[in-house]
Order: sequence, then structure tokens, then C-alpha cells
Amino acid sequence: MAGIQIERVTKRFGAVTAVRDLSLEIGDREFVTLLGPSGCGKTTLLRLIAGFMTPDAGSIRVGARMLSTPTAVVPPERRGMGMVFQNYAVWPHKTVYQNVAFGLEVRKVSRGDAQARVVRVLELVNLAGLEGRYPSELSGGQQQRVALARSLVVEPDILLLDEPLSNLDAKLRERMRWELKELQRRTGITFVYVTHDQSEAMALSDRIAVMHGGEIMQLGAPRLVYTRPANKTVADFMGLVNLLPAQVVTFAGDDSMVAVGGEHPIAVALPPGTVAGQTVQVAVRPESVRLIPLSAAGTPGVVPGKIAEVTFLGNIIDCYVTLDDGTRIRAQVDSGRVLEVGQAVGVEFDSRQASVFSA
Amino acid sequence: MVRAEHVVMAGSVLALAVLVVLPLAFLGWGSVTADGRLTLENFRDALSSRLYVQALRNSLILGLATAVLSVAIGLPLAWAVSRTNVPGKPFIHFTAVISYLTPPFLTAIAFVNLFSPRAGLVNRFFRDVLAMPGFTFDVFSMAGLILVTVPHTFPFVYLLAASALESVDASMEESAQILGAGRWRTALAVTGPLVAPALLSGALVAFVNAIALFGSQAIVGLPGRVFTLPTRIYALFDYPPQYGLASALSLIFVALTVAALYLQRRYLARRSYVTLGGKGSRPQLVDLGPARWGVFGFCAAVFVVAVAAPYLTLLAVSVSRSWGLHFWENLTLQHYRFVLLEYDVTRRAIWNSLILASATATLAVLLGSFVGWLDLRTTLRGRKLLDYVSLIPLGLPGIVVAVALIQFWLRVPLPIYGSLLIILLAYTGRFVPLGVRSANAAFRQIDPSLEETARVTGAGWLRTFCSVTLPLARPGLFAGWLLVFVPALQELSASVLLFSSGSITLAVAVYNLYETGALGPVSALAIVTMLIITAALVVATRLGRGQAGIPRGERGAVAQ
Repeated sequence: MAGIQIERVTKRFGAVTAVRDLSLEIGDREFVTLLGPSGCGKTTLLRLIAGFMTPDAGSIRVGARMLSTPTAVVPPERRGMGMVFQNYAVWPHKTVYQNVAFGLEVRKVSRGDAQARVVRVLELVNLAGLEGRYPSELSGGQQQRVALARSLVVEPDILLLDEPLSNLDAKLRERMRWELKELQRRTGITFVYVTHDQSEAMALSDRIAVMHGGEIMQLGAPRLVYTRPANKTVADFMGLVNLLPAQVVTFAGDDSMVAVGGEHPIAVALPPGTVAGQTVQVAVRPESVRLIPLSAAGTPGVVPGKIAEVTFLGNIIDCYVTLDDGTRIRAQVDSGRVLEVGQAVGVEFDSRQASVFSA
Repeated sequence: MVRAEHVVMAGSVLALAVLVVLPLAFLGWGSVTADGRLTLENFRDALSSRLYVQALRNSLILGLATAVLSVAIGLPLAWAVSRTNVPGKPFIHFTAVISYLTPPFLTAIAFVNLFSPRAGLVNRFFRDVLAMPGFTFDVFSMAGLILVTVPHTFPFVYLLAASALESVDASMEESAQILGAGRWRTALAVTGPLVAPALLSGALVAFVNAIALFGSQAIVGLPGRVFTLPTRIYALFDYPPQYGLASALSLIFVALTVAALYLQRRYLARRSYVTLGGKGSRPQLVDLGPARWGVFGFCAAVFVVAVAAPYLTLLAVSVSRSWGLHFWENLTLQHYRFVLLEYDVTRRAIWNSLILASATATLAVLLGSFVGWLDLRTTLRGRKLLDYVSLIPLGLPGIVVAVALIQFWLRVPLPIYGSLLIILLAYTGRFVPLGVRSANAAFRQIDPSLEETARVTGAGWLRTFCSVTLPLARPGLFAGWLLVFVPALQELSASVLLFSSGSITLAVAVYNLYETGALGPVSALAIVTMLIITAALVVATRLGRGQAGIPRGERGAVAQ
């Protein structure tokens, strides 16, 4: 069993609190991503799990084994975890083989055994045949896989990854992303993955923990975090989002009405405790905004507007629409549409994909 | 049309020919001729006479012992400063920098005052006061020579090792740790191999510098009859001078130096891990616990031997009427009055050295800028060769430069022998590599697009150079100037063969006074020398504050 229990952990650096009273439970064989902007505390949390840092408060356990408390920390070398660093940290003075075999040497695995395991793991990461190369003779993606192989060969229960794909170019990143997911499925290792790239997080994770200011803002499955962000910070970080000022017209739970763009009512779900007349913000992603011919205006739920800007992006059209009261909305629509600046359109919101936050 | 780059190229070629290539050629020629005919007898004499073989052996012993001790001192200091929570880090860094800046002959003279067999203060204390003659130490010996040399060479190892230790990304070590390696295993398997090239490099630079220090070898070696190559070469200029033999010995000396530098280059080129990954994270500092006071004690001991003892001794000798166990009973400033006001030789020496050092620094940086600019900003043929030639003097000990210049200018019908000019040529030739390295580094960090932007905006070549390139390169060039000024002010190895009474320099004046046994004035002059160096550094730092600081690593790198 290699679940991780993080309980009320705090870590301060001088006056800055990098991780604040944070609790998180990671299940065995789970793929959890710590997602957030730089400085949100995600790398600090990962390094606390690895044992490179001592918490100022709280505890970290793996199964029944207590690893970190403010007074006692099991050093990294006795945690049996694996870790992949952002810059790969492949040792430049060792060959690929020597890099990968190091962990086995430390564990005093017999030479023949070690050789078999190194060969096997190099095959797993598609590096067979490159055993004798030095890191300087490898591409970035290959170095990255050496780092991965080096961590995997010792068969850790838990693998920690600190932005392992951020130094790769876009194409390679996408391929490695797929390979990582595949690897996790095959090995059954618990992955704790740190990134600031929300699409990476969504592609890989069982659950995402969105972090901000040293705290977890929201923890949940990728789809849930994307479509039902817990607050504005999460909504903003998980992709493009319009935040529209709105006034509550009627409150009836999931069938409430709010007015946007002047006096145009639309149907949304409102959180409990909201009252009529209150000012709120409706968060709606550009792809959940539909533009329809103006003739349909006047129908309930359609807000009139004028196209202010159109950008053709190939697969979609990215455009801005100005509503009657001056609010600008970003919409992404099918690239087959013909839209022109100044054109009057009706804006329709997919209310199932909209969230409402208090202003 | 004659273009600017061709003029610059021609000027640089001419300068390097006169400063480096021709003197070396004449040195080579002089070594294989005797009375106008070709012969190998100079080399045969040099390699068969016990006198010279012994000197060669001593130089090797001195170099190797110094290199080993430099590592033994420099590495722990570097490790303590860059990797542990040892207290007083600025103090440790300060110790290394001051040791590096202190003129070597100054340390030697100070230690003579403490440990000369009969009159040395420490020796007298143990023998006469404590009646423990077993604790006396004779500085006029190989051990003494090593003792006074190491303070000048360990900073090379310290600076190179510290910057290497700091450049190893923390994740390199953390990867080993998370794989189960403990602290020692990580140090042996990862950190050690990564910093080994820098360490070896520092040791070889220490070796090269140690064997070239004429001052300490003359002051401490000669009285103890410990002869080395520089002192033997020097002795060959006693009447009647044996130019051929001196040239042959010089070339053997150069071979030794070049071999060491070649090894360093080769080892570094093959196993350089300088670019150690992108986002550098600093390693976590090792908490030494109470042991950190032990480590600090070691650093303090180095400070006492390398800085406190020499300076306090010289200060004490310079203000006492008679040197002895009760020196404080007769304090006086007469020695300072003597060297600064009364004795015209020392007054002349101070002026000469100030003029020489300023002129040398300016010329070396100017020539360095030409060579660097040609290398980085033009496509002229031969610019790489020019750059290479300008670095040759790195392999030439000061005394060899002097021998080469003598061989050259004795055969040229221009009467500059014995003038300030020949010393200026010697200094400029010796220190031009420092100018080239500094200028090259300064120009390299200016992106060509900055200059191209100026050109596109309509500025001509000269305008661009003056209003874009020069201001941006200024801090680096300024640092280079200082880097030349300091060693030029205290230069002894070449000056000692080239000076005349009119062109005497500071270091030569100190050496001559020492030979006459005038310890008080010698110490006063040594302190004055150090004050001038300090003043120059302070003024320079003030002038260039915030931009002209010499980065830590650069000094070691350039000095190599």
C-alpha cells in the first residue's frame, strides 16, 4: 500500500508561508496532480513528500509509516520513492547505463540481476541500445526518459514528478504525456505530479489538486474541476473564462434567473444562500458561448450584442462580442461560421457549463 | 578602401609580434646558438649539470607540494563556504581574496622575520624564552619555501572549486539521495566527479604559479641554498652573463609550465560539465551542528597563517627601531619617513611602479579589446590565431619573459635596455592574456543585435562603437584593467632582470633593500605597496560600483 496521507502541513520560508495548513490524501496507485501557478507551493509540497524539507507543522505518512513531522524526518534516501526533476538531473559524467544502474548499486543488487533490470526498464522507456551514450549525446526527450528509467528501475511505490515535461517542445511533450499515462497504468505506481500546465494536468490525472497561496483551492477529477470550479481563482486557472457581472432576478436553486448585459435574464444554477437583487459573477468558458442570428432575439435566454473583434485560428474562430451595457464576452465558435465586425448577434449561454460566484 | 578592421588587425599583429612572438623566437634562437653557430650544448649543459638538474627537481617538488597543499586548504574552504552553515563566510572569502592580492615577496619577508634560524621572533621565543629549541623552524628550507608559497596559490583552488560547487545543480545530488544514496555516497558518486575538473584545474594553476614566483624563491630559497629554476636563471645574469644557457633553461622551464597548462586544458575540455542544466537551484546547506566551529577554526587558522601573521609582522617591524622580543618598546615612524621622503630610490620606485602599472593595464586592455573585437565581431582570417597567440604568455613565467626580451632587444639597434620602456613591454607582454580574456568576456555578453540596431538606426561604425559597445563593455573592461594593474604593481620576476637605477620598481626596491638587510624600511615599503593596492581597489570599486565588480569565478578563470 502506497497511499500518502498529508495532514495539516505548514511550511514557511522566513515571512513567506509556502504551504499553509494543507491536508491531502492520495490513494494507492492514484495519479494526483498538484496544479497551480509558480509560487503556489506545489513544488514545496512535493519536496516535503520527498523528504528534502522539514514541515513546520503537520505530518506526512505513507500507509502506517510516519515519514515527516516537525521533529523527525526520514531522509529522502530511506523513503524508497522515485523522483524526476524538471531539469532531468541526469548525471553528465555517467553513461545512460550507469545513470540507470546507480539506484540498484546502492541497493546492492547483484550485477547480473541489475543488468537484466536496466535492460528491461530501458526498453520500457524506448531507450534500448543507447546504454553506452553520455547524456550530452542525447536529446532532451531522451534525457528525460533516462531520468524516468532511473527512477523506475528501483521499482518505487511512489513516483514524484516535478514539471518533468516543461523543458520539452510541444510535440514531444504531448507524446511523453501519453507515455507517462500508459506507464502509470502498466506499473501501478502512485504518481504525484507537479505542473502549471492545466491541459497536462487534465490529460494525465485521476484527480487534480489546484493550489494557490499554499492552499488547495479544489480537489477533484479533471472534468469536475474544469466544469465546476470551486471559485474564481480555479475557474481562471483552468482555462479561458468570461466573468460576467450579473444581477439575481429570482432565486430557485438550480433553476434561478440572473440578468446580464443590461436587462436580459438567463437561467443558471445559483449556490444556496443567494438572494434576489444580489450582484454576482457568472463564469462561462468561451466554448460554452453560442452566437445565433439576431432574428432569434427576444427569445428568453438570448442576449443581444455586437461583434467587436474576430480572429481566425484555423480550428476555431475566436471573437469578442460587446453586450448592450458594454460588457465584452469572448466566444470561440466553429471555424465554418462567417462573422464580421459590427455584425449584430444573439448570445446564448450554455447554463449547464456556467458557474456563479459572488461578486 | 582601408577598413577599420584591417587597421585594427594590423596594429594587433604588430603589437603581439613585438611583445610576444619575436622575443620568444629570439629566446629559442639564443638557446640553440653559441658564438654564432648552431649547437645543442646549452641544453646539454642545462640537463647534465647537477646544478640545474637539482634546480629542476626543486622546482618540481615545490610545485607539486604546493599544488597538493593548495587543494588540502582550498577545497575545505570552498566546501565550507558553498555547502555548509559555517559561520563567518564573508570572512573566509575575504581571507582567500586578500591572500591572492598579497605580493608573494611580502609574505616571504614576513616569515623570515618570524622564522629565520637565529633572529626569527618565533624561533627566539621558543629557544630563548621557553628554552625549547626543538620547536624552532628554519624558514630557509624547502619546507619554508612551501610555507610562504601556499598562501598565494590556495586561492586558485578555492575560487575554482567554490564556483564549481555552486554551479552543481541541487537536483543532481537530490536524484542520488532519493535513489537511496547517503551523504557520503552522493559526495563520492556525484558531487566529486562533477567538481573534479575544476579542482584539478585549480591544482595545476597553483603548480604553474608556485614555480614561477621568483620573489619567495630568492628570499627564502637562496639563503637556505634551495635553488630553483628562476633563481638559477637569475644567477646566470651575474657577470659574465651566460645568455645561451639562461635561454635553454628558460625553455625547459616553459616546457614544464606548458605541460601543466596543457594537461589542465585537455582534462577540462574532455570533462567539462559547466552547463549543468537550466533552472539552477541551490543545494541545501549541510548543517554541521557544533562541528561548524571546528571547520571555522580551520578557516581561522588559514587566516592567521596567510594574512594575520604576515601583515602584523610587517606592521610591527616597520614601526620598531630594533626587531626583537621587545620590539614595542621603541616605536617609530622613521622607516616610513625614510622610504617615502628621504630615500630617493624608493620614492622613484613608487612613481615608476604607479606609472608602469597604469600604462600596462591600459595597454593590455586596449590590445585585449582589439583582439577580442576582431575575434567576436569580424570574419577576418587569422583572428583565431591572433587570439591564440595573445594567450601564449600564460605559459611564460615572468623571468622567462625578461630573458626573452633581453635576447631580443640586445640584438635590435634600439637602446631601450635599462629603460622604463623595456619593463613596460615586459609587463604588457606578460599580462596581455588577462586583458584579452576580460575584453573577450565583456564583448561576448553584448548581443550583436544591440550594435546592429544602432547601425540600422543610422549610426556609423565609430558612433556605434562609442555609444553602444563601449558603454556596455565598460564594466568588464574596467574589471580587466584592475586585474592587470594589481599584479603589475607588484611585479618582480621580470623586473628584477630588466631594471636599472633609473627604472627601479617597487618590488625590486623591496628586494634590494632586503638584500642589504634593512628590515625596517623593507617592511615599511611592503606595507606601502599593500596600501597602494588597497587604495586602487577601493577607488576602482567606488568608480564602478554596481557594475564593475569582479565576479567570483572570473578571477580564477582569467588568472588561469
